[in-house]
Amino acid sequence: MGTSVQVTPLCGVYNENPLSYLISIDGFNFLVDCGWNDHFDPSLLQPLSRVASTIDAVLLSHPDTLHLGALPYAMKQLGLSAPVYATEPVFRLGLLTMYDHYLSRKQVSEFDLFTLDDIDSTFQNVTRLTYSQNHHFSGKGEGIVISPHVAGHLLGGTIWKISKDGEDVIYAVDFNHRKEKHLNGTVLESFVRPAVLITDAYNALNNQLPTKQRERGFIDAIKKTVEAGGNVLIPVDTAGRVLELVLILEESPLNCPIYFLTYVASSTIDYVKSFLEWMSDNIAKSFEHTRDNAFLLKHVSLLINKSDLDNAPAGPKVVLASMASLEGGFAHDIFVEWATDTKNLILFTERGQFATLARMLQADPPPKAVKVTMSKRIPLVGEELLAYEEEQNRIKKEEAMKASIIKEEELKVVHASDNVGDPMVIDASNTQTSQEAVSHGGRYRDVLIDGFVPPPNCAAPMFPFYENASEWDDFGEVINPDDYVIKDDDMDQGALPFVSNMDGKLDEGPASLILDMKPSKVVSTELTVQVKCSLIYMDFEGRADSRAIKSILAHVAPLKLVLVRGSAEATEHLKQHCLKNVCPQVYAPQIEETIDVTSDLCAYKVQLSEKLMSNVLFKKLGDHEIAWIDAEVGETENGMLSLLPLSTSAPPHKSVLVGDLKLADFKQFLSSKGVQVEFAGGALRCGEYVTLRKAGDASQKGGLSGTQQIVLEGPLCEDYYKIRDYLYSQFYLL
Amino acid sequence: MASIGQAPSLKRRDPPAGREGDQLIITPLGAGNEVGRSCVYMSFKGKTVLFDCGIHPAYSGMAALPYFDEIDPSTIDVLLITHFHLDHAASLPYFLEKTTFKGRVFMTHATKAIYKLLLSDYVKVSKVSVEDMLYDEQDIFRSMDKIEVIDFHQTVEVNGIRFWCYTAGHVLGAAMFMVDIAGVRVLYTGDYSREEDRHLRAAEIPQFSPDICIIESTYGVQLHQPRHIREKRFTDVIHSTISQGGRVLIPAYALGRAQELLLILDEFWSNHPELHNIPIYYASPLAKKCMAVYQTYINSMNERIRSQFATANPFDFKHISPLKSIENFNDVGPSVVMASPGGLQSGLSRQLFDMWCSDKKNACVIPGYVVEGTLAKTIINEPKEVTLMNGLTAPLNMQVHYISFSAHADFAQTSAFLDEVMPPNIVLVHGQENEMGRLKQKLVTQFADRNTKILTPKNCQSVEMYFNSEKMAKTIGRLAEKTPEVGETVSGLLVKKGFTYQIMAPEDLHVFSQLSTANINQRITIPYTGAFGVISHRLKQIYESVESSVDEESSIPMLRVHDRVTVKHESDKHISVHWTSDPISDMVSDSVVALVLNISREIPKFVVETEAVKTEEESARVEKIIHALLVSLFGDVKFGEDGKLVINVDGNVAHLDKQSGDVESENEGLKERVRTAFRRIRSAVKPIPLSAS
Repeated sequence: MGTSVQVTPLCGVYNENPLSYLISIDGFNFLVDCGWNDHFDPSLLQPLSRVASTIDAVLLSHPDTLHLGALPYAMKQLGLSAPVYATEPVFRLGLLTMYDHYLSRKQVSEFDLFTLDDIDSTFQNVTRLTYSQNHHFSGKGEGIVISPHVAGHLLGGTIWKISKDGEDVIYAVDFNHRKEKHLNGTVLESFVRPAVLITDAYNALNNQLPTKQRERGFIDAIKKTVEAGGNVLIPVDTAGRVLELVLILEESPLNCPIYFLTYVASSTIDYVKSFLEWMSDNIAKSFEHTRDNAFLLKHVSLLINKSDLDNAPAGPKVVLASMASLEGGFAHDIFVEWATDTKNLILFTERGQFATLARMLQADPPPKAVKVTMSKRIPLVGEELLAYEEEQNRIKKEEAMKASIIKEEELKVVHASDNVGDPMVIDASNTQTSQEAVSHGGRYRDVLIDGFVPPPNCAAPMFPFYENASEWDDFGEVINPDDYVIKDDDMDQGALPFVSNMDGKLDEGPASLILDMKPSKVVSTELTVQVKCSLIYMDFEGRADSRAIKSILAHVAPLKLVLVRGSAEATEHLKQHCLKNVCPQVYAPQIEETIDVTSDLCAYKVQLSEKLMSNVLFKKLGDHEIAWIDAEVGETENGMLSLLPLSTSAPPHKSVLVGDLKLADFKQFLSSKGVQVEFAGGALRCGEYVTLRKAGDASQKGGLSGTQQIVLEGPLCEDYYKIRDYLYSQFYLL
Repeated sequence: MASIGQAPSLKRRDPPAGREGDQLIITPLGAGNEVGRSCVYMSFKGKTVLFDCGIHPAYSGMAALPYFDEIDPSTIDVLLITHFHLDHAASLPYFLEKTTFKGRVFMTHATKAIYKLLLSDYVKVSKVSVEDMLYDEQDIFRSMDKIEVIDFHQTVEVNGIRFWCYTAGHVLGAAMFMVDIAGVRVLYTGDYSREEDRHLRAAEIPQFSPDICIIESTYGVQLHQPRHIREKRFTDVIHSTISQGGRVLIPAYALGRAQELLLILDEFWSNHPELHNIPIYYASPLAKKCMAVYQTYINSMNERIRSQFATANPFDFKHISPLKSIENFNDVGPSVVMASPGGLQSGLSRQLFDMWCSDKKNACVIPGYVVEGTLAKTIINEPKEVTLMNGLTAPLNMQVHYISFSAHADFAQTSAFLDEVMPPNIVLVHGQENEMGRLKQKLVTQFADRNTKILTPKNCQSVEMYFNSEKMAKTIGRLAEKTPEVGETVSGLLVKKGFTYQIMAPEDLHVFSQLSTANINQRITIPYTGAFGVISHRLKQIYESVESSVDEESSIPMLRVHDRVTVKHESDKHISVHWTSDPISDMVSDSVVALVLNISREIPKFVVETEAVKTEEESARVEKIIHALLVSLFGDVKFGEDGKLVINVDGNVAHLDKQSGDVESENEGLKERVRTAFRRIRSAVKPIPLSAS
């Protein structure tokens, strides 16, 4: 009866690899997230390549490489062709992130996994949704509804809710419950008892300091370095967590120059300025009231070129540069320059990906020296240039040759076809003439090419004559009204030039780099860098920490829980915790292991007849209204089951007390009624003799026993019955 | 089904009787057969929604408000504002701050940002006496905190009312709201346009067909000229006027359509270098402020603007300069001035009009819909003379052109829209009476074969419709392990949340909802020094099932009464009574307590245990009592064979089986009476059957 739900991890379980999972709902395959690491290691995508062609829709949750990096490659090479769904910021910032990564890579290597065009064409497939928008599938996925919800973590970050027939599958990774400067906290807690929840165990072992304390530490560390005359490098992602850091720095009292350096820094901020709807209430409010756009940056300068940074005035500065893993991009170069100076500070705000330079530096104790590869794209000079030009010439020549051969072949074809219906031949004696024409054609081919070749389909050697037969009817000549319609001029004519590029907003620098057809090559040198600068790691990842994850999971209390991404240790820890405190069915599948999380829920639908409902007395309890019904099953005209009132009197039933008693609340209630109450040894002492306590572990909400056991004890006295009455008033008796 | 009638005052809140729960009421409080003060009230199944909250631009003070007296503001759950125009949003601060309204208000992000600008300006500009002021800037500021934002397509649920909005294409941030209450959908279009223009997207066609469509009818059966022709007329008039040395006045609302006109003018100037020395002024104090809003919400605009935005901000005009007030205006030679308000009621546009109206070289271009009762409406008919602000009359010599860019749907758009959306019920609002009537006639013809109802209620006239919504429930969990056959019974908890129903077993309640169930175990100690056997004896006299046993843990004697209440002999000094709360158990336990207290009072007591004899005696006694009572009722009662009683009343004979209570008799009346009597006697003799357990 229930909807069949299967989950198959394709990447990112029992480790910190990028995320990519397959969720199959009644045979409709969703690929949720399509991540890649900063090394762009194709071997990670093996599992994806095996199923790529069967995927019906792709859902993206966050605009960083870990969540969408492999999308262009998968679309181009792995045969993925499904429509993609994402929020507007995930779409836009994801696109910029991919540009930044491509350009960083291209600068230092012959990167050929995908091109900018591939990125563009991939992102053209994206359908953009807003938060809480219900998107209904048709066709194969009939009945499935998806909707994105706020996840926190990154701008536009999404928790996906996939529903069918009232059963919800929720995919929530990297959520953040904390309200930040630019983002609202996640709404995950508003979902209650979904059929399946898929979440990550990445942070299951980490705990964070309070936000204020962390921010103060962050600013203090920077201040100290700057005041001592050192530079601060903060390796960041392209368009994700960096936004929060930019706001923190923008509001900080630092008086040294702050730079934000990525290949797409200025367009990132431009777009971010138009995403106020997606940000925190505070930002929206300040804009509504004063029209101050929080991302109208006054203290942070945007750079898209390393030379701009080199040209900046000397003296201490703070630089936010991509990529966070230090594996490439500007951050890599700056690190090599600055690492050797003890005054400088490299401030990590997130844990580096596995096996990256950033991760090595975050080790404790940090390495004294690291080996790095410095690569540079330099224009070819001298002999190399000559060789390159020769090669190019050769290629050109070959192409020209090929082209001419093709042309000749075409001509041959043309003439061959000429033979069939030579324009000059009108009468029937064609055999001889056509032979003549061949020799003729062969001899004067060059002349004929000069524009005297009649089109092959030309019928006769005469000027075309069209009979202008106009139709008449009773009212005169029949006209086609369309001929008289004034064409709607394209309003864009003469307007601003249209940018054909879908995005069109590449910054000047990289644009020149792409369009630069100057021959160039990549030169790499291996260096050993002495790491003398200070290294600090502070958690600004914007993910819920261990405690928050546990309390949110306990609150959401899914019927089935699937754990993905996170070290084996963290996954195991969270699994054990959840088994005990959240729900009895917790899964942590291996890569390519398909688990069936179809709910074992039985359900059927019935119609509630008007007669029955008119006699039902609902009791209101928060959002819910409940009542006890006894009904007889009947059938409507169209074969639906319906519930009718019982013809005989209702059978007695065991009475049910509905309500959730919180001892602390009850204590207040009693004292408001003038009863002396106090907690003593886990029990509530009411008056002199009566005690009230909860038996068993009632905190196990989704646990095995859902019924609270409350024990009321006392000697026979008036108080006892009074307190019992108060206690009963906290419940609804059905 | 639907009927129009004077509403019996919507304030009355009688408990819904019969079909009234299925009755959907729509009442325009404004904009019914008029344009201005849009405000439409809707109520269904006890849920109430108010669409828009505008003022009538032609009136001032309280007279400009919608008829709020008709409703009780405190009953409204949700108020939805479609866009920021004064006739749709300007009574909101009044409604929020000066009435008992306590529901929630929603509008789109862009609307909220501009709403504040526009209303602050409106309060400043409207020169009315203090007592006529509906609200002040402080009220607007406070109202901002109460307004919540909704993004296009975002689904929000309040109190069981689900709603979301679509792009309406009228102005930046304009929305059409779809409201879903218990499966009945109502679409309120607000002002909409199906034509894409320079910066806005066209109104969307909703994915689902609504049951009712409340649609604007501003332009009735008129047809717009194609947009490029209107644009050409517009630019031609301006071009020819200024080339003859005249001045052009364009009265327009400061925000909304003005931006579209500025885009046209700026582009026209860019393409005509010879005009570059002619200044264009955009005279609005909001000009600069609103730019930030327009620059931010490009995601609400069309693809064209968004792609232009990639290279340069299209709202960064090259040929248009702002003008703060008439004092800063140097009126020498030809110029083009766009000034607010659009209706020429007062303000800068009126000042310029007064200055320029008698010169025939000048021109006034009215670029949008003008409301009845304003000067702009008057001059469209080109009267010979006009009254100036200072009360004098002056000849109207300037040319007046009416070229509409107001982005309301025309007849072609309306009929195509309704054709796509296919609502079975259409309510027309926001249109002049005549226009609305004509539109109704035409739509009736168009949808003749579809059985579509088209209604045109006046202000405060209610439209009533009935929707029989079937209530469906989903039975889940343990109760649903087997789908029942017809005739079987289903017992369980019916849980209602919003408009969804679920039936489940009490044990499953915590699984499928946030609610939980509880058991209360009670333990009461009573001082008792007598023998435990006495209690046992007394209990057995009252209750049929009393089992003696010994507690396994503490090896103290205990009694179980009907498997509900346990009495334990804790020590020589006291006993304890244990049970789990439930009405019957509570009653049994009370009786046990009373019994124990009685025994304590009557000490000492000794009891000889003669169990077997006792039960026999007991049953004999019961039988005797039954017999005696029956005799007193029916007279002739004899013991028949096989233990049956034979009752003879006036020749009618009934046989009563004392064990099962079955009665056999020829006479139905007697049979029924005997059976009833026996049941009552039995419940008197054995008061607590306790079969419920």
